Order: sequence, then C-alpha cells, then structure tokens
Amino acid sequence: MTQAEIKLCSLLLQEHFGEIVEKIGVHLIRTGSQPLRVIAHDTGTSLDQVKKALCVLIQHNLVIHRVHKRGVVEYEAQCSRVLRMLRYPRYIYTAKTLYSDTGELLVEELLLNGKMTMSAVVKKVADRLTETMEGQYCSHAVSRGVDGKNMDYAEVSNTFVRLADTHFVQRCPVVPATENSDPGPPPPAPTLVISEKDMYLVPKLSLIGKGKRRRSSDEDATGEPKAKRPKHTSDNKEPIPDDGIYWQANLDRFHQHFRDQAIVSAVANRMDQTSSEIVRTMLRMSEITTSSSAPFTQPLSSNEIFRSLPVGYNISKQVLDQYLTLLADDPLEFVGKSGDSGGGMYVINRNDQAKTLLSDLDPWHEDLHKALGCLSTASLESVVQERFGSRCARIFRLVLQKKHLEQKQVEDFAMIPAKEAKDMLYKMLSENFISLQEIPKTPDHAPSRTFYLYTVNIPSAARMLLHRCYKSVANLIERRQFETKENKRLLEKSQRVEAIIASMQATGAEEAQLQEIEEMITAPERQQLETLKRNVNKLDACEIQVDETIFLLESYIESTLKRQ
Amino acid sequence: MAEVKVKVQPPDADPVEIENRIIELCHQFPHGITDQVIQNEMPHIEAQQRAVAINRLLSMSCRLLDYPVPLCLFNLTLFPCSKMKGSDNQEKLVYQIIEDAGNKGIWSRDIRYKSNLPLTEINKILKNLESKKLIKAVKSVAASKKKVYMLYNLQPDRSVTGGAWYSDQDFESEFVEVLNQQCFKFLQTKELKMLKWAETARESKQNPMIQRNSSFASSHEVWKFICELGISKVELSMEDIETILNTLIYDGKVEMTIIAAKEGTVGSVDGHMKLYRAVNPVIPPTGLVRAPCGLCPVFDDCHEGGEISPSNCVYMTEWLEF
Repeated sequence: MTQAEIKLCSLLLQEHFGEIVEKIGVHLIRTGSQPLRVIAHDTGTSLDQVKKALCVLIQHNLVIHRVHKRGVVEYEAQCSRVLRMLRYPRYIYTAKTLYSDTGELLVEELLLNGKMTMSAVVKKVADRLTETMEGQYCSHAVSRGVDGKNMDYAEVSNTFVRLADTHFVQRCPVVPATENSDPGPPPPAPTLVISEKDMYLVPKLSLIGKGKRRRSSDEDATGEPKAKRPKHTSDNKEPIPDDGIYWQANLDRFHQHFRDQAIVSAVANRMDQTSSEIVRTMLRMSEITTSSSAPFTQPLSSNEIFRSLPVGYNISKQVLDQYLTLLADDPLEFVGKSGDSGGGMYVINRNDQAKTLLSDLDPWHEDLHKALGCLSTASLESVVQERFGSRCARIFRLVLQKKHLEQKQVEDFAMIPAKEAKDMLYKMLSENFISLQEIPKTPDHAPSRTFYLYTVNIPSAARMLLHRCYKSVANLIERRQFETKENKRLLEKSQRVEAIIASMQATGAEEAQLQEIEEMITAPERQQLETLKRNVNKLDACEIQVDETIFLLESYIESTLKRQ
Repeated sequence: MAEVKVKVQPPDADPVEIENRIIELCHQFPHGITDQVIQNEMPHIEAQQRAVAINRLLSMSCRLLDYPVPLCLFNLTLFPCSKMKGSDNQEKLVYQIIEDAGNKGIWSRDIRYKSNLPLTEINKILKNLESKKLIKAVKSVAASKKKVYMLYNLQPDRSVTGGAWYSDQDFESEFVEVLNQQCFKFLQTKELKMLKWAETARESKQNPMIQRNSSFASSHEVWKFICELGISKVELSMEDIETILNTLIYDGKVEMTIIAAKEGTVGSVDGHMKLYRAVNPVIPPTGLVRAPCGLCPVFDDCHEGGEISPSNCVYMTEWLEF
C-alpha cells in the first residue's frame, strides 16, 4: 500500500467511523494480517475496544478473518475495499436512476449498515419512505384529518427482489451447515462459504405490513395503551423469518455498470446516438453471462442484437448490420467479429478482425480490455493536455501511436520546432509520462553511439496517475475538514439557533419571537455560512469527479493484470 | 648463324592500347578495379608499363580515384575535360567526391576521409573550387554548424533544407499552425454539413454508411482546398498536406482510414486513398484535471503540516472563489 493510499484510507475511516476504528484499521492496512492480541499490543488500545472496532470493520466487509496455521486467527484489512467508500454516492445514485427512490434507499441502507437481513432492510426503507411521503402530505393530512400514505412492504420487497435478480445485491457468505457428529472442538473461527447459485436467491418471505411513521402517537390503529406499547414495533416478539441470511451490496456489479456506461458514452462521443444504443444493448445482453473480469463479452449474433434492441429504435436489420460493421471498422476497436461461425473451422481468435462474409450468424463481441485501455489512454492524454498544453499533448499522442521514436523523428512528425519539442519532451520525461529506451550500437553503451527512443509505457503511466489521484482526493478531504473546522464556531451557533426555532415552533410561538431568534445570526455570518456550504459542496463534488478517473484507471490496471 | 635476340614484344605493348584496355576494364567493373585485376588481365605487361599507363590516364582527361590502402582501387570516370583544365589532380579528386555526393552534399571531414588528403590541402582546394563557382556550401538544417558542399548548379535535397516548412533554415511554425487550422476547419465544416443534411433528410438517418462516407474527405480534396485558398507562397505537394493532416491526428481532432481505391482515381497513391474525418474527443476532460491538485506544479511538495499543504493551498483558495 502506498503512502497516499494509506493516508486516504485513514481519512475515510475517520470520517465514517471515528478515531478508534481508524487507528485499528490503519494499523492493519500498514502491517498486513495480524492476530487479535498483537493488534491490541501494537496500537496500545484495550482489548475490548479492539474487539469492538474489529466488529465494525468486519460488519462493513473491510476486514476479513482467516484461520492461520497453528490455529491462530488473523485479521486482514482490505485496503481496496476501504477506498470504495469514496464511491458510495455513485452507487446510490446509480441505484436511483435504475430503480428510483426505493432502490436508492435500499442500496443506501445496505451500504451504511454493511450487512442486513432482507426483512430488516425492507422495513427500514419502508419506514423512511413513509416519512418522506408523510412530509409531502403532512399539511393535507392535518387539515383533512386523514392518514398519510403508507409505503407497502410488498413494493419495497419487489424492488429488493429486482435488485437481487440483476445481481446488484448479493448474499453474504454463511457458516456452512455443520454435519452432526463433528468430532473435536469447533475451529477457532468459522470459514464462511457461499455457493454460486445461492448468491442471488431471495428467500421466500411474506412481508406483510406497512411502514410505520415516526409520529404514530395519534394514528394508532390497534388501540393498545400507549404507555405499555414499547418504543419499537411489535416485530420483536416474532422470530425474524430470514435470520442468518444477510445481504450486502455487490460492488463488482456496480463497477460493471459504470464501465458499461463509460463505454457507451465514449461511443456516443465518437460516433452517433444510434451506435451507442447498439453498444448499450450488446452490453446489457452480456451483463449476466459475462463475468466482470472477462476481457471479452460473449459472442452475440446480430439476430439476437436485433431482437433485443429497445422498442423505440425501429431500424431495419440491414441498417443494424451496417452499424455493426462501422463499429467494427472504427479505429477504437470496441466491437469485433469473433470469427467464422459457419464451419467451426476457425478458432475464435480474439484479436482477429477477419473480414469474413457478412452473414446473419456472424457473432459480434465487445473487446472490454481494449475499451478500458482506450478510455484510460484518453484520461492520460487529457491530463497531459491540461497540464502541459496542446502541443505537448500532440507529442504525447504521437509517441503513443508510433510506440518508439527518436528525438529527430518526433520533431518531424509533430511539426514543432526542435527547441520547443526538446523542451516538452524533457518536461514530460521528468514527470514520468514518457520514458526512454536505450538501444546501444556498441557493447560499451557509449552515449554518442546509442539510440535513445522515447516511448510511453501505459500501465506504468496509469499507475503513476492513479497514485496522484489518491493523493489529490486526500488533499481535497483535508481541505474540506479544514474549512469546516475553521468555521466550527459559526456552525455550532447556527445549529443552536435552528434547534431553538424548531422547539419554539413546536410549542407554538409568535412570529415576532421567531424573527428575533433568527436575527441572532447576522447577515455577514449568514453570508459566511453560505460560502462555507458552497465550498464544502464543491470539494465534495470534486472528490467524486476525481473518483471517476480513479475508477477508470483501476479497472484498466486490474484488467491488464488479469491478462497476464 | 648468329643468334638473333628477339625481344618478344607482347602484342599489345603499345601504351595507348594498355590505356584503352584499362579503360575497358574500368567500364566493366563500375565499382572500381584493383591493381591486382589489371595485372591478371594483362599478365604480360610489366609493372612499370602499367604504372606509366595509369599515370598518363591520370594526367589526361580521365580521372582515377584513389581509395585508401590496402585496396588501391582505381575507378574510372570519364570526365568532360573542359572544366578542369589547369587544376591539378587533387582538385579533380575532391571535385569528384563532391559530385558523387549528389544533392545531399558532403561534409568536409568526409571529403578528407575519402580522399586521404590533409586538412589544409582540402581547405585550400575547397576555397579554390568555390571561387571558381564550381561548388557551393549549404548550411544543413539538421546541424546548424555543419556546412555541406555540393555542386553549384544542384538544388539541395529536402533533408538538408527542410523542404517547404523551412525558409532560410528557420522552421516556420506560424505557417504550419495556420495550415493546421485551415485543414481542420475544412474537415469540420464538412462534418457539420453532413450532420445538418442528416437532420433534414430522413433516409440518411437510416443509412449510416452514407452518413459516414459523406463526412470523409480524401487527402486530395484537402490539398485542392488549400491550394485554392492561396495562403501558401510555396507550392505544397500532397505529401506536405498529409504531414499536416497527420499532426491533426496527433492532436486527436481527426481520424484517418485507408481504403483501397482503383488506380487512376483522383488522389490515389499506389492503389490506396487516405480519408480523413473530424471527430470529437472520446471522453470529456477527465475528473482529475477538474481538481486544482491535478494541475498543481508543486504537487510533490505538498503535505499536511508543511509550508505547502491542502489547508493553506493558494490554488485551492482561488478555485473555491471561482
């Protein structure tokens, strides 16, 4: 783990979970897997606190446990998972676009709680939705004396089932059912397993009920005495039907979705809307069939694509074929032909784009690795352009395309005067975007008799940029915290005032009194608060934007590693 | 009966004959012949007669080029004797070397290697030849200190002067920029025209091939457009335009495809035609560059608690006020 990653993890853990969890988490990230006592000893915290912190981290899937040999249980932190916390808003937003508010709240609850049973999450979401709906209908309800709408459990369950079907949520691994007569003591830590087919199996629950509103003191239907009614709902008495079946958000599936989105928008930028729709259809068809780390999607015949096109697009089969040919010929090479399906004579040669006869059965596939490579190269180019200028970007793209070039050749191809070209090349070299390859003419590597070729090593440049992204996000978070700390006094004051106003409104106060309280915050202070809010929002939004770059680069690096 | 000493005269002992034979041999082997070869051909001639013949050839209008040992090669080039009357052999030698270099020119050090003459002699000879207006010195654009020599009436090669982009050894960047922009504008207007036409004509929406093909322009079309514009004082060839279009590709604004074209169609070279099309960038500027950290020049010095830190970053403050 690099320093930048550790710093970022520590900031994220602190923001979400507090000091103690942060200390334990960072210690685990730094030192790898450790047993319980060693953690307690090294960090100097009491065993009790360490246990609680580890519970929190395990609940959120940030730490896993493993039985080491000799029976010692060790805990290991997953740094990459901690960095995902940065992406939570994006996951929630995606769920909202796909499954509207219900989906949004479901995913939010799952992310905030780590793991939950289906019944628990459904109930919670129903309650929250009811509150918001009540908020909308509140005034009407009070005036008309009618119940506000309640969110039905069934609706929420349906959305949950849909999320599970499209693999956005998955079951957590469970303790395997131990066969009876297991001799010997139980293992120190259970090994959790989950079978592939069980992962998305929704248990058959009949969740009947409606969401409860918070202020249900007046509209109580059952008529039990209020004093005796416990604070929680009556479900505590019944055993929860799906106890032990916990669900978590399936981040890989979200990542697949983001990647698909990026590819579709790239195609839309480069070609036109219709092509991007075709690509979107192809990706959607292979959502479930292709694993998230495969370099190619499954081959799809153009007939299948034609049948699965969205309803609004009534283009004929020939036009579809033409579009597919255009996509395959495009220099971006996102889509390719998978070889001759007729005689089965050819092996599906992944990198081949043989111009075979265009028949209806020709399969097409998406080249995901190349697509990711193209996108991350585009990110690199855009960074070079913004940092060093458009001429540097020209040189960078030139070296990317031609792979290896001499100094003189760079000047000639890019049509930039020699002095400037030299300057730019050296600047990029010092920032490690470009590297030098030496080819000696003589065995003694004399500099005057050696060829020096400029080249771009894309995975290494991507890693360098990724590291820079991590540090940038850490900087942004720190700045945000700094800004908040600076204005702490002001924020506290405004919070107090709001609390006073709220309580006064509840007890029924006059307008004049409310005005007076509000004026406790002077105009310049109000201005300052506004500025603070704007700044914090800006920094937050920027973190998410940098996270987009992080996602592209990380996916590309992962895909490259898998290919090897 | 007295013994008559008959000196057996070899049949072609005549010096002129020897010279002619040597000339023939030189013609046969244009790369040059060694002394050994001459000896093999005419074994009955003594070394002395050979040397005499060669010397005569040297002094006459024919030239012989000496290569350094160990070969001692003789290479014959017939040479119009009018120009060189009155110059001595060394000058002739140097002149021949320069002529061989053609329109690329040759450096003085290389002349020295080839002719094996000392530097002072070379310099004197070169000055002599220059004053007689037989050769000229041209400054090379690659290494500005180097002077290459070539025959007076030859046009220097492109690699020496730089071609259309260089005027007096200076790279004309504004000229290139202007051409760059003009070509891009041409391709862009073609693309926009196609889009506008696609909106109005419904059939084309259904046919992406037509759309695609109409937004392509061949290098020949661009060349014609630029020629008609008349912004260039220098005559530009199609290769020049293609180098400009290549720079547009490296700018990421244009993409190129090569299609096979029938021989004889306008603008095709070796059965291929290059087509160019204006394109949009694949992704909008990436997230990292929207943060001040992405463009910060002192990024590596920045850490919490230091002089440059996120809390007191000037760039961030400015960016937040934006």
